[in-house]
Amino acid sequence: MNLAQLLTTSFVEHAYYAVTAVALAAGAMGFFVVLRRQAFAAHAIGHVGFAGAAGAVWLGLSPIVGLLVFCLGAGLLIGLGGASLGESDTVVGVTLTASLGLGVLFISLYSGYANATYSILFGQILGVSWGEVGLVATLSFAVLLAVSLTYRPLLFASVDAQSAAARGLSLRATSLMFLSLLAVTTVVAIQIVGVLLVFSLLVAPAAAAQVLTSRPLHALALSMGVALWSAWLGLFLGVWIGGPVSFWITALASSAYLVARLVDSTRTRQVRRVSA
Amino acid sequence: MSVLSLAGASVSLGGRVIWRDASFSVARGTITAVLGPNGSGKSTLLNVILGLIELSEGELEVFGEPAHRGNRRVGFMAQTRSADATTTLTGRDYVGLGFDGPRFGWGRDRSKGEVVARALALTGTTSFADRPMHSLSGGQRQRVALAHASVFKPDLLLLDEPLAALDLAAQAEIVDLINLIRDTTGAAIVVVAHDLNPLAPIVDRVLWIARRQVRSGTVEEVVNEQVLSDLYGHPVEIVVTARGRRVIVGLEEEFAHPHPHGHDHSHEVGHQHFADFYDEENR
Repeated sequence: MNLAQLLTTSFVEHAYYAVTAVALAAGAMGFFVVLRRQAFAAHAIGHVGFAGAAGAVWLGLSPIVGLLVFCLGAGLLIGLGGASLGESDTVVGVTLTASLGLGVLFISLYSGYANATYSILFGQILGVSWGEVGLVATLSFAVLLAVSLTYRPLLFASVDAQSAAARGLSLRATSLMFLSLLAVTTVVAIQIVGVLLVFSLLVAPAAAAQVLTSRPLHALALSMGVALWSAWLGLFLGVWIGGPVSFWITALASSAYLVARLVDSTRTRQVRRVSA
Repeated sequence: MSVLSLAGASVSLGGRVIWRDASFSVARGTITAVLGPNGSGKSTLLNVILGLIELSEGELEVFGEPAHRGNRRVGFMAQTRSADATTTLTGRDYVGLGFDGPRFGWGRDRSKGEVVARALALTGTTSFADRPMHSLSGGQRQRVALAHASVFKPDLLLLDEPLAALDLAAQAEIVDLINLIRDTTGAAIVVVAHDLNPLAPIVDRVLWIARRQVRSGTVEEVVNEQVLSDLYGHPVEIVVTARGRRVIVGLEEEFAHPHPHGHDHSHEVGHQHFADFYDEENR
């Protein structure tokens, strides 16, 4: 089979639709993750998802069901506990550890664990069915729709919480909304890059974008663009050269961040030379 | 009619009385300085006026109505804003959030650009409005934040420590700008500060909060030895310098606690080390 034939096979086509939807949602949410400095929460939600997915597999359910239940639960827990206790990091850390332990337990209970565990941890995009693509796309577009409707209040609450509260926004509601959207985004991103590499789509593109532009809408669009570029090219390279798609996506997204930093540092140096 | 009035007002948070029996009013076009040691409840007062904290006793009226959250006639400038350190936000974007930040949905108000531009012009921030907030100087950021707070030309403007962490020249600039906003918009302005002297030239009234009590009046009525000695429960002396700055002697414990800072034996109300101490605590 040559490359052209390979790219038009149904499993690559499924993967193509799935990565497109997920990259857009993750790129958009990533913008807020970086802005709100909640990368640790994103990290924890993914790990909690691992327990959910492992539990679902053990019970003979689709991993995505377990992911949704556990990730949403973790998002709400972090939102409620972190806000009221004022010690977000601790709450997140304890949640993370407890659920990883639970995940280990579920895996030990499930006999044919190796394959399932591997795909939860590192992603398994080349095996998704049409049904899963439909679910992933629906969830991704729901996230995008919600982000577009809540963009301004979310941005306001992220950059000036006190003023936002003074203007009548509920910070708790905003935070819970953000974490729920983050949970759903994490679930879909795990489908492609897995629990351990979820940052590649959720943080790296947004981090690259925020280095390159100072306008929030531009950064949001650029973050989605970088995520999409990494996902598409990663899928293509995975099919063409071989190797896990999640590896390629992670490598590309991380390089995008590296390149952004290099571009930024040469730009700063030039500005300095001009003003000197 | 006064813009703001409190009568017999008390606030308790978590069962602890913050201050009690405060009665004062604020008139249109006046500037009121809110002073007192750290943790005395100055910011709490602003939160009460914003409708974010309820009084445990007494009455509060803002424009003749009970305080309610999200009142557009009340502008607010927060003391700490993560906007200041955010790389992807320009001054213009931040002021724009003052205009439609709380609004959900896709709609876009056509007048936004014009209203934001007017607020930027009023505060003299147009020339650096398109630079990221994190690249601006402390004084420039405070000017942008004033534009953000006054984007709707509020009738009551609440400023939480607008002079904190600024050098003396920048402080003077912000004081002039606050005065200019009062003169051009006719707003009543309430400024929380830890330092009366930089504000003294523009202040009409003073509100002093200490030991859970609130005293209000003109500068002469409040910042005198009798009132402050009574408020703090031990004798204080006030020395007025040749330039009219007031130095208060006898409050070292009150202000230095809980983080003693240096060994100064007088607390000038406009003393720089005090500003340093303040920053340290709020970082």
